[in-house]
Amino acid sequence: MRFIKTREEGLRENYLELHYHEVDEETKELIARLDTTLSNVEGSCDDRHVSVPVTEVLYFETVDRKTFAYTDSMCIEMRLALNNILDMYSDAGLIRISRSAVVNVYRIDHLQGDMNMRTIIFLKNGEKLIMNRGYKKEFLAELERIKERSRK
Amino acid sequence: MKLINKKNFISIVCISFTLIVCGKLLIEKAAGFTDVHYTGNIFTCLGFSVIITAVLALHFYLQRFPLIPVLIGQYLLVAGATVAFVKAADVIAGTSTNAMWQMLLSVTIPFVVSAFVYYLVFFKQIKKANAILAEINRENTEV
Repeated sequence: MRFIKTREEGLRENYLELHYHEVDEETKELIARLDTTLSNVEGSCDDRHVSVPVTEVLYFETVDRKTFAYTDSMCIEMRLALNNILDMYSDAGLIRISRSAVVNVYRIDHLQGDMNMRTIIFLKNGEKLIMNRGYKKEFLAELERIKERSRK
Repeated sequence: MKLINKKNFISIVCISFTLIVCGKLLIEKAAGFTDVHYTGNIFTCLGFSVIITAVLALHFYLQRFPLIPVLIGQYLLVAGATVAFVKAADVIAGTSTNAMWQMLLSVTIPFVVSAFVYYLVFFKQIKKANAILAEINRENTEV
């Protein structure tokens, strides 16, 4: 499959267009991944119903049995549990970092270890999250998987 | 994931015990040393295999706590068990004058080495993860 990128001046919204003769396995896999990546998360913010692309979410967190999705400018209360979010959007680069938080790997700037062997996750907006030791192995394995997938 | 659980506890103790005893016998053979307290030392090896496996099994349950207090607590637990064990052995069969010091040293050295290796591996993993993240971020920026 070929991938052609074209820059268009004055385009209001970026779009992807797929040209195909038959939907083969490779195309099917790509469509499935794009479906997840381009899907939106829905919830409420300041009593308004909002819908934002999952790629814009920095991390999801459960506080007092409520799940919140955090973007650069919003905190969206969702009706889904963290496990459902992971099932639905795992292809979007979401990784569990503690019992109550899931991070979007594409929004991580870098990691730092502390003397207590906890991993501090620095997000691109400057926020910090703490990853427990118990989730480190799973996190690293998932990171490897994402790297392999993005190389394909 | 629990690395040591109820199902594999006994088998891990058995494997550790076998390796320790094999190591002991090989070192004795190489050094031409004859252990006069053979039976007592074999049971000491078994006792320590059980204690150390039990302490390591606790690690899973302590993952949400900061590591340094956990390591100190685990060390104190092992050291306390060692002191109690040597005291009991002294009452039952009698031990040499520096037995306590030697036993504490035998526990402390592997503990410190293991902790050091654990830290080394951890920071190496962080470095590797940062390299992967940089690669992912670079690819995303290029697209």
